[in-house]
Amino acid sequence: MVVCGRPGPELAGAVRGVWGAVPVPRALVGLPPDVSGGEVVAALDGAVRVLGDERGQWEDARDMASGSSGDGAGEPPMAERGADRDGLKLDRLHVPLGPVLVDWPAGLVVETVLQGDVIQEAQVRALPAEVARGAFWEARPGERREETRRRTAAARLDSLGRLLGVAGWPAAAREARRLRDRLLAGAVDDGDRRRCVRFTRRVRRSWVLRWMLRGAGQIGPDAPRQLQGDALDRLHRWLDEIEAMVGVAEPGEVGERDGGSRVVREWGGREGSVGAFGGGRGSVGEVLALLPGLLVGAELAVARLIVAGLDPDLDRLPAGAEAGTRDG
Amino acid sequence: MAAGVMALGMAVLVWGAAAFDAALGGARGGRGVAGAPFREGARLVVQQRRRTDRADVLLTRAGVVVLPLAALLAAVVLPVGGAPVLDMGAGVVWFNAMEVCVWGALWLVGWGVNAVWPLVGGYRFLAQGMAYELPHMFVLITAGVGAGSLRFADVVAAQRGLWFVVWMPVAFVVYLVSAVAMAFWGPMGQPVGRDVCGGVPGELGGPDRLVFLAGRYALLVVAAAGAVPLFLGGAAGPVLPGWGWGLLKTVAVLAVLVVVRHRVPVVRMDRFVQFSWVVLIPLTLLQLLVVAMAVLP
Repeated sequence: MVVCGRPGPELAGAVRGVWGAVPVPRALVGLPPDVSGGEVVAALDGAVRVLGDERGQWEDARDMASGSSGDGAGEPPMAERGADRDGLKLDRLHVPLGPVLVDWPAGLVVETVLQGDVIQEAQVRALPAEVARGAFWEARPGERREETRRRTAAARLDSLGRLLGVAGWPAAAREARRLRDRLLAGAVDDGDRRRCVRFTRRVRRSWVLRWMLRGAGQIGPDAPRQLQGDALDRLHRWLDEIEAMVGVAEPGEVGERDGGSRVVREWGGREGSVGAFGGGRGSVGEVLALLPGLLVGAELAVARLIVAGLDPDLDRLPAGAEAGTRDG
Repeated sequence: MAAGVMALGMAVLVWGAAAFDAALGGARGGRGVAGAPFREGARLVVQQRRRTDRADVLLTRAGVVVLPLAALLAAVVLPVGGAPVLDMGAGVVWFNAMEVCVWGALWLVGWGVNAVWPLVGGYRFLAQGMAYELPHMFVLITAGVGAGSLRFADVVAAQRGLWFVVWMPVAFVVYLVSAVAMAFWGPMGQPVGRDVCGGVPGELGGPDRLVFLAGRYALLVVAAAGAVPLFLGGAAGPVLPGWGWGLLKTVAVLAVLVVVRHRVPVVRMDRFVQFSWVVLIPLTLLQLLVVAMAVLP
C-alpha cells in the first residue's frame, strides 16, 4: 500500500483502517509531498524487500490474526428500519463514502443512509488538507501558456480516468491515465495529439456510456454554466476541452486562432487555472453544495457516476470552507 | 475418462480466457501473458485470507465453491466434442438449472461476508438475474422448439442442414448477452463493479478469491461452449475431427466475449432491466413464434 502526501488526522485514521484490512504479504510505503524521484524508487525497492522477507511476513500475519480476533465492543446495534421509496419498511445502513475509496475525489466524505443500494440521506463534507500548499492542478506562477494548456488537458484526463473507472470501462480508463502521464511528462508531439483525438472519439462514440450517463445528476440553469446539464453533457465538455487543448493547433500558439480560444473564453477566460471546470475557486464549493441534492434518491452506481463526473478537486477549496457540512 | 477430458478442456480454456484477457488488459513487463493467470494464481494461493467482522464463513465458502461446481455440472451435458459426458433427455433444462445456481452462490457470498459492498453486489446480481434470465430461458426454449427436443444431441442433429444461428439470429445474439450476464462479465459485471470496490468478491482474499475468480472464468467458458451445440451446429464440420470443431467454435465465441469486456463499459441494471423487459423479452418471444410456426405441423 502506497500513501501519497501527508494525511491529516481523520484521513490518517482511514488509512490505518485500510491497512488493517490488507492481507499478508503486504508492505506499507509512505511518500510525503516533497520526495524526489530517486527517493520514490528507493521506497518502492524497499517495499519489494519487505514483501520478500518471509519471516517478517509470517510475524505480520500472526500479529494480525491475534489482533483481530477480539470482537471487543460486543454486539453491534441492529440496523434500524424506515419507509423506502416503494413504501416498504427496509433496513437503513449508515455507510460513509470516502475518504478512502477507489476512483473517488481525495478527501471527500459523503455520509449516506442506504436502503438496499439507494441513497436516502447524504451529508457532504471535505476533510481539511494538512498542508496548505498550491493545489497540484493549479496553474503555477510563471507557467507558459502552452504548459498551462497541456496541464489542463492532463487534468481533464485525470478526471476521466476516474469517471471511466467508475463507469466500468477499464480499458478506456487506462488509456486516459496513460495519456495524462504523457502530457505531464513534457511537450506534446503529433503522436500524442493523434492518440488524444483517437481516445476522445472512442469515448464519445460509446453508445453504452451515453446510455448510462444520460440523465444522471441533472443540474439546473441556476448553477455555473460549466456544471449545467447531466453527466453526459459534462463528459462532452471535458472531451471538447481536451481536444481544444491538444488537438488542433501547434504547440506554443494554441488558443489565438482556433477552437481553443473559444473554449478558454467560454470557461471564464481563466487562463491561469487548470483544475476541475476551469477551476474558479468558488466552483468546487458550489459542487459540494449541489452534491447532497443530486445524490439523495440515487442508486449507488448513479451516485458514483455523478461524483466522478463532477470530480471536485478539494485541494482547491478555499481555506476554512471544508468545515461546513451540507445536508440533503 | 470423458469427465476427465472435459475437466481438462475446461481448465485449458479457463487459462486461455484469463491469458487473453490479461493480454488485452495491457499486461506487460516482458514476461509474457501466457504466465499471467499462473502468477495471479500463485499470488492468491500464498495470500492471507481476509476476515470480516461476524462473517458467516460457512455460507461464504459454500457460495464460493458453488461457482466452479455449477460450471462443471452445466458442462457435463454439453456435446462440444461429440458425445456429452451425460446424455440427458432434458439436458437443456439441466444446463439452465445449473446456471441458476450462480444466483444462490453470489448471494451467499455477498451476504455471508457481512460487509456493505459485497452486499450491494449481491443485490445487483439479483436485479441482473431478473433482467437476463427470462430472455435466456426463451432463447433456450427456442432452440429446443427448433429441434423438437430438449436433448442436446437432438438439438445438434437438427442443425445438420442449417445452423440455428442462421435462422434464429435474434436468439443467438440474446444468448450471448445472457451468457455475459450469467458470468457477470464485462458489460454485465456490475455485481463485481469497481464502483463498489469489487462488489461480491470484494472481501475475499487468498484461496477463496482464487476459487471465486476461477469459477467465474469457468462459467464464461461454459456459457461460450453452450452456444456451440445450441446455435453453431455442435461438433460438425469438414476435415477436422469433431472435438477440433467443437473446440474451435468454443474458442471463437469465448474470444468474442473476452474482447467485449475491453470495448464496452458496464451496463447499469436499473436501465438494463427496463431494456430487457421492454425490448429483449418481446424480441425473443417473436423469435420463438417464428421458429414455432416454421417447425410445428
